[in-house]
Amino acid sequence: MPLELTGITKKFGSREAVSGVSLRAEDGEFVVLLGPSGCGKSTLLRIIAGLEISDAGSIRLAGADVTQREARDRDIAMVFQSYALYPHMNIAQNIGYPLRVRKRPPAEIDAEVKNVAARLGLTSLLANLPRQLSGGERQRVALARAIIRRPKAFLMDEPLSNLDARLRVEMRAELKHLQHELRIVTIYVTHDQAEAMTLAHRIAVMRDGKIQQFDTPSNVYHRPANTFVAQFVGSPSMNLIEKPDGILGVRPEDVQLSQVEQPDWSPARVYVTEEMGNETIVIISDGSTNITARAPAGMKLDFDARIWYRFRPEKLHWFDPSTRSRRIE
Amino acid sequence: MKTALKYLAASIAFIVAIAPVYWLITISLKREVDQFAYPPQWAGFVVTLEHYKEAFGSSSFSAYFLNSVLLAGISTSAALLIGVPAAYGLARFEWPANWGDRIGDWILSTRMLPPIVTIVPLFLMLREARLLNSLVGLSIVYTAFNLPFVVWMMRGFFDEVPREIEEAAMLDGESRVGALLRIVLPLVKPGLAATAVFCLVVAWNEFLFALILTQTEAAMTLPVGIASRVTQYEIKWGAMSAAGVVAMLPVLVFASAAQKYLVRGLSLGAVKG
Repeated sequence: MPLELTGITKKFGSREAVSGVSLRAEDGEFVVLLGPSGCGKSTLLRIIAGLEISDAGSIRLAGADVTQREARDRDIAMVFQSYALYPHMNIAQNIGYPLRVRKRPPAEIDAEVKNVAARLGLTSLLANLPRQLSGGERQRVALARAIIRRPKAFLMDEPLSNLDARLRVEMRAELKHLQHELRIVTIYVTHDQAEAMTLAHRIAVMRDGKIQQFDTPSNVYHRPANTFVAQFVGSPSMNLIEKPDGILGVRPEDVQLSQVEQPDWSPARVYVTEEMGNETIVIISDGSTNITARAPAGMKLDFDARIWYRFRPEKLHWFDPSTRSRRIE
Repeated sequence: MKTALKYLAASIAFIVAIAPVYWLITISLKREVDQFAYPPQWAGFVVTLEHYKEAFGSSSFSAYFLNSVLLAGISTSAALLIGVPAAYGLARFEWPANWGDRIGDWILSTRMLPPIVTIVPLFLMLREARLLNSLVGLSIVYTAFNLPFVVWMMRGFFDEVPREIEEAAMLDGESRVGALLRIVLPLVKPGLAATAVFCLVVAWNEFLFALILTQTEAAMTLPVGIASRVTQYEIKWGAMSAAGVVAMLPVLVFASAAQKYLVRGLSLGAVKG
């Protein structure tokens, strides 16, 4: 069931948090709203949920206009960053709550809760209270509560950001698999570009309340629409070099280094090296600008050592200096 | 040594606090001849229940007791019924141009004047409304008196509940009222209990308004009734003490029942739970 936003605008006082956002997520699609904090992505999500009312624009879900509907009548489930479990109910009651509100027969609720709990590995925790659970377990309960009633859409507001790094990666994979199985359109908000790249079918990169680019992870990475997207996606971020004929963008992996002089390569000095284990990040300086490069692991370079570099000619990105958007090749 | 000092200090505090209560209880149980014997009889006196019989059998203390119960119950319920939704509204909704805070301050300001300055206007208003000497009149006054307290306490407790929990409930299919009743209120139960106990105690012990606004027995409360036993000709120490002992009981029972909530309610927010 597709979700379609048209011209969504929301003002807080005189500041436009979301301005004229239009976006269509197809049935079963996983769309990630990616952007720095304050870019309006959470506000947009809350507007879709019905927790905020937009000043202009419309929302269509599964073909019906839900713009004026209250949150509870939209049939949308949401997972919050803080999980927002009900502290006074045990896990079974938390998971079953959406069905209880809908006055389903207790036997049916019980069966569904067991079913969903088994799917998310929560069976042994059903009698516990939320505060007795670890962060990862609470996260699973929040997911279970969202999926139990098979909503028309899922909304997730930075659901993994309260977890530690290892658990985050684990839950990320689980989440992706779950979404694939359920095939329910999902809008996922994050500021973590790695999460966006790994989870999304398509990423909507946002800044200052506007969508900068809405495309597949591969296209966002390899064909960024402007310098903001180019630098926000990818880690370490893309080198941007001011040239007389425009802004040149080069990803660190497209900077080739050599410790011996090569014809047509430019000389530079090593500014700093960062050993990452599986690779080495080398920052070099040509006197005026710093350029970040990826090098193989174990590359030993002294501070200020002489080095030669070149950019892979087929991997250059050119941006217009005034609009800062990608030049059409 | 340190422990000994601690226990000593605690014992002194306990004795100081409990001595008048103990004396009240003994007087209510002593024969009139023993009440002011010298040296005072702290223990081992002849026990009698005649004062209780007199207070609750022949004189009207039972009626006063019932009046006090009704009054405390009705005014506390009314103050919660009006104050809790108001507090929720102030805590949760956006008000244009800070009106939420202004209304809050204004409600609080009514607690800032000493109660006695309102007594003359209240007397005149109730007289015009033919509500002097009536439980209805006193209930209205007590409700009004407790309302700002309820609003301010409960507003603080509602502020403590994360908005997201309520929003989750609304997305799960609850209306706002449903989320308030089934999710938020259970979460602020300790606060609700603490607030209710305070209101009850205030209404139960209130003397000034009850004295001025009731002159007949129809709506006389226990504190006023007890004091009225100090007459021109005699002071009924025994009956007064017996009534005083009985007057302490409901508050004691209620407070000890709500004690775990009281402590949690008053320290809510101080510790992240």
